[in-house]
Amino acid sequence: MKMIRVDGLTKRFGGRTAVDGLTFTVGPGRVTGFLGPNGAGKSTTMRMILGLDRPDAGSVTVDGHDYTGLPRPMYEVGALLDARALHRGRTARDHLLCLAQTNGIPGRRVDEVLELVGLASVARKRAGGFSLGMGQRLGIAVALLGDPQVLLFDEPVNGLDPEGVKWIRELMRGLAAEGRTVLVSSHLMSEMAQTADHLVVIGRGRLIADIGIGEFLRQGSNVLVRADDPDRLVPLLIEAGGAVRQGTDGSFIVTGLETRRIGETALAAGVVLTELTPQRSLEQAYMDLTRDSVEFQASAA
Amino acid sequence: MSAAIADTMRSEWTKFRSIPSNLPTLLATVAVMVGTGALTADRAAEGHRAAGAAFDPAYLSMYGGFLFAQISVGALGALAVTSEYATGMIRTSLTAVPRRGRLLAAKIGTFGLIALVTGEAASFGSFLLGQTVIGAAGAPAAALGDAGVLRAVVGMGLVWTLVGLTGVALGFLLRDTMAATTVVAVVDFVIPIIGPRLMPEAVGDWVSTYWPVAAGLRVATTVPDPERLAPWTGFGLMAACTAVLLAAAFAVFRSRDA
Repeated sequence: MKMIRVDGLTKRFGGRTAVDGLTFTVGPGRVTGFLGPNGAGKSTTMRMILGLDRPDAGSVTVDGHDYTGLPRPMYEVGALLDARALHRGRTARDHLLCLAQTNGIPGRRVDEVLELVGLASVARKRAGGFSLGMGQRLGIAVALLGDPQVLLFDEPVNGLDPEGVKWIRELMRGLAAEGRTVLVSSHLMSEMAQTADHLVVIGRGRLIADIGIGEFLRQGSNVLVRADDPDRLVPLLIEAGGAVRQGTDGSFIVTGLETRRIGETALAAGVVLTELTPQRSLEQAYMDLTRDSVEFQASAA
Repeated sequence: MSAAIADTMRSEWTKFRSIPSNLPTLLATVAVMVGTGALTADRAAEGHRAAGAAFDPAYLSMYGGFLFAQISVGALGALAVTSEYATGMIRTSLTAVPRRGRLLAAKIGTFGLIALVTGEAASFGSFLLGQTVIGAAGAPAAALGDAGVLRAVVGMGLVWTLVGLTGVALGFLLRDTMAATTVVAVVDFVIPIIGPRLMPEAVGDWVSTYWPVAAGLRVATTVPDPERLAPWTGFGLMAACTAVLLAAAFAVFRSRDA
């Protein structure tokens, strides 16, 4: 079983704790979304998985091994951390070749992955002249060089056009369908909703949720309510166990109560409901989950 | 292990040759050493009568060119490392080769070989051209068969290699191109060459004798100087200092987050 195991992982930079006792596992055969606001510690965690940063506490293993102990890591794990992390003067092919050579990967595999990511025609062009999308494809080509069973992608769709996003999404789903372990980070819930089977949500370096996407969706169900006499209804809904906050145009959003329960409460109180709409917005659920852990938040004016 | 080092060195060679400016710069550096060496040899030949027994045609034919070329070699060595930090490539490289000692050893080995081959070519080139110039100026030229001459010419290529490796070590220690190349110029040129003219005599004398590159250059001389170190002693001192720098580079590179 090609698992990534993160156990009590902690990393401090100066006085700031970037990753704080994080524990989770990433399993094969599915896309695991690694979700959190900017600065939540996603990239730091990924760097520790790859041995680039040294944890202050805890451990991380890939398939039971410390990454830095793997003799030919590209055959085990492929990673795209930062597609811009290359020398701009080097051609795409030479960039791939120098990395392939470190792991004894033959040159013909370089041409194969160039073909696979659709860069064969620009293989001998300098990578510095590539568009964002081409650069991202080149970074993915690096990850695929060793045909590894475990893949890590850090914000792979950032700044891509819709076609590029679709390509990466299908690639990741395809890799998972082949039984590989795929961990992909994002700060966008909407992206994860379309790609991930499982979510690991973190905020301020701590685990917030480790959950299947279906369950996450159920937990995060909001109901948009409009009523003739909200002042009377809202306290009753809170009493019934719901959380209520102000929506737009006099509406309010209820979480933690089913639509039926809200309807019953209104009926019992004799309040007329003018709207009762379940909102299964993952984006909203994600925001609810991470609101307290957003590091830099614009205050509402 | 040795296969893995060989693979990583092959990769380092690909990295070096695939940056468009590297090979032209390297060839230009050889040309600078040979060309400048010929010019300074011509000038030096004029003073051969005044120098008498201290006239060292082998050293004079190489020394002038080396002063310029060493800055370029040291900078290329530094750049082999700092360009990876500047572009972020170092993280990609370390993902492919997570054993840091292996990556560092491969960089040292590969750049060391590159510097050795070009350093020897430049040394022999500047010696041979310089002797023609010195002979044409009417001064006594040296031949490779003369006592100590072959050692001096080969030794000059070795000193050039050590300067390149000093650049590699400084690259790992400072991680910044500007800082590393500046330190290369200060350590290999400003302090040992200009320094003794400006410093108090005792300090200047000490620098001329024991400063690594000054000591190392003794291996390229053919006339003994009782006030300075013997050829291989001087070279040994420079090699030891370079080894200490590389060890410090390894310690820092291994412990620092990438």
